[in-house]
Amino acid sequence: MTRTTSLGFLLVAPALALVAALFLWPLGYSLVAAFTDGGRLSLVHFAKAHELYSTDIVFTLVIVLVSTALVGLVSIIIAGVLTLSETPWLVAILRQMYRWPLFIPFIVAGQCMRTFLAKNGLMNNTFVSLGLLDPSQTASLLDWRGIVITFVWKQAPFVILMLAGAMASIDRATIEAGRNLGASRPRCLVEIVLPQVAQTLMVALVLSFVTMLSVLSVPMMVAGSQPTMLTVDMAFRINAYGDYPTANALGVISYAMTAVAAWFYLRHTVRQQREAER
Amino acid sequence: MKHLSLALSLAASLAFPALAGAQTLNVATAGDQNMVDYIKDFLGPMFEKANPGVKVVAVGTGPGDSGSQKIYEKLSAQKAANTEKWDFDVIVAHQKMAGQMVSEGLLSKYRDRIDTGKLVSSATAANALGTNVEGFVMPMFQSQTAIAYNADMVKTPPASYAELQDWAKANPKKFGYNGIKGGMSGVAFAAGWVYAFGGDANRLMKGPYDAATKGGWDNALVALKAFNQNAVITPGNAGTLDMLNRGEIAMGPVWVDMFYTWMNDGKLPPNMKLKLLAPGMPGQPMYYAVPAKAAQAALAEKFIAMATSPQVQADGIVKKFNWYPGIDAQHLQGKLDDATWKKLFTDLTPDDLSKNAKPFPIAPYFNDILESYEKKVAN
Repeated sequence: MTRTTSLGFLLVAPALALVAALFLWPLGYSLVAAFTDGGRLSLVHFAKAHELYSTDIVFTLVIVLVSTALVGLVSIIIAGVLTLSETPWLVAILRQMYRWPLFIPFIVAGQCMRTFLAKNGLMNNTFVSLGLLDPSQTASLLDWRGIVITFVWKQAPFVILMLAGAMASIDRATIEAGRNLGASRPRCLVEIVLPQVAQTLMVALVLSFVTMLSVLSVPMMVAGSQPTMLTVDMAFRINAYGDYPTANALGVISYAMTAVAAWFYLRHTVRQQREAER
Repeated sequence: MKHLSLALSLAASLAFPALAGAQTLNVATAGDQNMVDYIKDFLGPMFEKANPGVKVVAVGTGPGDSGSQKIYEKLSAQKAANTEKWDFDVIVAHQKMAGQMVSEGLLSKYRDRIDTGKLVSSATAANALGTNVEGFVMPMFQSQTAIAYNADMVKTPPASYAELQDWAKANPKKFGYNGIKGGMSGVAFAAGWVYAFGGDANRLMKGPYDAATKGGWDNALVALKAFNQNAVITPGNAGTLDMLNRGEIAMGPVWVDMFYTWMNDGKLPPNMKLKLLAPGMPGQPMYYAVPAKAAQAALAEKFIAMATSPQVQADGIVKKFNWYPGIDAQHLQGKLDDATWKKLFTDLTPDDLSKNAKPFPIAPYFNDILESYEKKVAN
């Protein structure tokens, strides 16, 4: 080894050691615990996870996919308005407001939604006092809908931040050309702007997907426990039974979900690097 | 300036706990923040005043059985390492882990050595979910679950699980509980359901354990799944109380102490009442215990004797925190004003309690109930 490479290795060693100790070791440990029983390879923990939590696995996947799709939709609309709108006051207000949820932790968002979305909560009471709803028509949103609403509220600003930045940096001449030829603004957004920022949107959505999959506080605080998300089941497995193997098996199942998202993400970054090298 | 000196003294006491007083009594408590507050703000200062030179340090290890699990892990590790003097002098733990600590020889048999030891005769002082703990523990308080209901919305509350089943059918989405993953009031409700419909409840509470028993709960659990269709699953112990407060549900299982605390704070409508369902709903004590090799064993026993004295039980446990006393209730008569005494026993009379207040099932059946619920009701 030459002197510079060994020096370089020394410089990255602390970071590598941290990654190994805090990420690789626990990851390996939980994989081993999930796939072994009494020292032998076994799938019993997965069988148990399936037997007890199959509904929750599907529930988690559906919640996160629906939330990701809605986050994408909301972000495209808001970022599109920020980029294409010709109403200065609307853009100014939106620009000021859309970032706020970024600074609010998930658990605080969960706590707020818990009273906001309840049957006789702030939202419904406001509708009732405005005469829009009758008290007998109100319904509680503290179930899967509450989780989705909280996730979208919390994650959309992050995606908008990335998307609006990407939209601001594209060549405005392409948009103006479309407008001059008579295309409406929504059409410009869908046919001219979106294709140019699709990669950024995908990355932002992948990161949101992974974040939402790992949140424990929101499903715990906003919704009742039947069905619930995998994070709650993992916590319960450990707190109630001290049963780490099944919790680890559930963990592996959520790794599998994030792995699909990670594959998209990596493919994108690799392609970007190749383009940069060209 | 005041803040600065406060901060400095806090920093000093954190950095040099041993220097803060000639003797330090380390009290480790499982449970919610109110348990830590009780030791830190109420018992600690009282004990320090009576014993000059002693400093009481309260450590909270977290809510639920997992908090007790942490205390167990620490003591077990110090035993395995052959440590001469263990770090905790007094521990406050739940039943499940207290039983395990006694059977592994981690606790000292101190109860006969303190005066207040003979003031307690309840079954939970001798038996913790199937393990004989006689002499090793003193109940700090007794906590109980019951059904809270809004008397304006429910004129004649159901008196048993069977009646509740019919009531929920007639009033869909008016009964709410928090399942089994959102806190112990829901767990207690589910355990009570199995007591009511699952066959021999006595065996679940006293043993002996037989792994085949859970096969007999199928009908009970199918009925519970159907019952859940008419019930609301709330987010947590406090979630049930919140929904009762907002009038979204008319009835739900709660911890009696939380119920009274919320009533006192005005967070529940004044027309709320409590009812214990027959054949019984579970409750549980928390235990005071002394580790087998506590560094300050004599002081620890003195601390527990003070904490379980009738006056402290009356002022602290009953009046301040709305728990049922750990020692036998008759020793508190005369120590409490009439209003407090009446409030504690108005909805649930001593007679109700002796008939329908049950312990949780023994540990292996407890786990079986939770897992069968996950398998047959939740999934």
